[in-house]
Amino acid sequence: MTIKVWLSIAYLIGLLLVSIGVTFTNIDPTYMQTEFIGIPQPPSLDHIFGTDELGRDIFVRSIFGARISLIVGFISVGISLIIGVFIGVISGFMGGLFDEVVMRFIDVLMALPTLFLILIIQVILEPSIINIMIVIGATSWMGIARLVRAEVLSVKERVFVTAVRARGIKERKALFKHIFPHTLNPIIVAAMLGMGGAILTESVLSFLGLGVQPPHPSWGNMLDSSLGYMRDAPWMALIPGILITCTVLSLNFLGDGLWLLLDPKAKDANVKRT
Amino acid sequence: MIRYISKRLLALIPMLLGVTFIAFIIMKAAPGDPVGMFMDPSVNLEDINRIRSNLGFDKPIHIQYLMWLKNVLLGNFGYSLISGKPALQAILERFPATLLLSISSLCLILLITFPLGILCGYKKDTPIDDGITVFSFLGLSMPSFWLGLMLILLFSYQLNLFPTSGFMDPLLYGESFHKKAGNILYHMCLPLLTIIIGGIAGLTRYNRFGIIKILGQDYITAARARGVSESRILFKHAFKNILLPIITLLGLDLPGLISGSYIIEFIFSWPGMGQLAIQSVFQRDYPILMAVILFSSILIILGTLIADICYAYIDPRITKKG
Repeated sequence: MTIKVWLSIAYLIGLLLVSIGVTFTNIDPTYMQTEFIGIPQPPSLDHIFGTDELGRDIFVRSIFGARISLIVGFISVGISLIIGVFIGVISGFMGGLFDEVVMRFIDVLMALPTLFLILIIQVILEPSIINIMIVIGATSWMGIARLVRAEVLSVKERVFVTAVRARGIKERKALFKHIFPHTLNPIIVAAMLGMGGAILTESVLSFLGLGVQPPHPSWGNMLDSSLGYMRDAPWMALIPGILITCTVLSLNFLGDGLWLLLDPKAKDANVKRT
Repeated sequence: MIRYISKRLLALIPMLLGVTFIAFIIMKAAPGDPVGMFMDPSVNLEDINRIRSNLGFDKPIHIQYLMWLKNVLLGNFGYSLISGKPALQAILERFPATLLLSISSLCLILLITFPLGILCGYKKDTPIDDGITVFSFLGLSMPSFWLGLMLILLFSYQLNLFPTSGFMDPLLYGESFHKKAGNILYHMCLPLLTIIIGGIAGLTRYNRFGIIKILGQDYITAARARGVSESRILFKHAFKNILLPIITLLGLDLPGLISGSYIIEFIFSWPGMGQLAIQSVFQRDYPILMAVILFSSILIILGTLIADICYAYIDPRITKKG
């Protein structure tokens, strides 16, 4: 494991602890310091990230934004994992016509411009945090399903599965006890990368006003409100963006590091990197 | 080979039907309908119902879809609910700007990622490799719209180098072609830079792994043993072998590039399909949305198809199997 991966883990754990910790305090992210309304204050000792256009502390809002981003990341990846793993395992295990139909259906879904589709659905549904998570989860499971199916197909042919069958163990038990655990490694990696993707999607949606609704803070809608103050208060746009980038970067580094660690094929391509 | 291609082309038809049907259902699931949007309260109910049935909104959903499909096959994509323009015309007007931006970004991405990936793979695990890897991951992890905003902040607001947005100075309409072209290129710099920074990460990474894998092959060792020079090994033997797999990966990256450039067009007010698409989302302009989805899906599917054909071309086993 390289220093990048350790730094990423430290950053993510820090972010997680802070956003859990803030739940147990009575800090109000919508508190406005009335004398600063309309005049965003630059970073200072009182407000280390400055204040926004309504006199709210950007540091506090960033932490609450982190909480939203992490929740959206976890839950939407959770949803896509549940759908993807279920469909992938069943499809790979059953094979035949069922598999064929499912794969063609996935092809169709993959050919849709996803981000655009999410925008349309968010306009149709009322934009809310719950809806974002469901919509992101429901539109991002296809890759995982394909991955899991491919793994199941290759594991299914291995000798130990034949041995399991020969011992007369039931199909379903063989599937979940012996085949499924072998697909876990790529799933973990895909989940890490998927979480980064979900956080990015949430920020786009909230930036366009179709995600987390003000006054609730999210990194995306903080960027949205910074638009009118780009010239006078650039810190309003800088800070949420840097936080999104660091978070997604950590998840990507972590996913990449885990992949090198868990996948023997990656090691072949990268012999000396351990 | 021809049989393989025609088979794949035939398989496109059900895919496009599936894509458009799903998009159609989602849009019809919207509560309320667009007719209500530009009604003022004095219009009476009979008129509303008449307009609704003129537009076919009172029929069951599969009939509406078939009606839409029939019209599309006849070249009629419907009319924008906002401007009244034919949807096809609205899109075709926007298409050249999008094509200009996406093709030039694609070419530049390829031109940049090949040397970068080869350098990384050849100088594996050196500071150069690590530096490029971190930089490309950074580009991958940034929200592209934020990167665009930051570039505007830096290059337009602080340094006054590039225009913040737009396609061409409106004052130049009567001017000569090369003056116009120069101005468009000048406006294109920032959006192009945004797309490129976000787009190089994936391909650089693939190139890097490709080169590392190839440099470990026996025939490279054999070439080295014969005393072939390093640069010849790298550019003649290794380069050729990663070229085609990269085309395949490019095809797979295409959906991301297409969806991603929508939001960048929106940020920079680039008058392309993406800007139109996002505006139409907010205006609930369904005929335009359907046409945009159909167009983007065709681009995505064609991209994957071309990638598959390239793959089949280098690896003949695929055509035999399928």
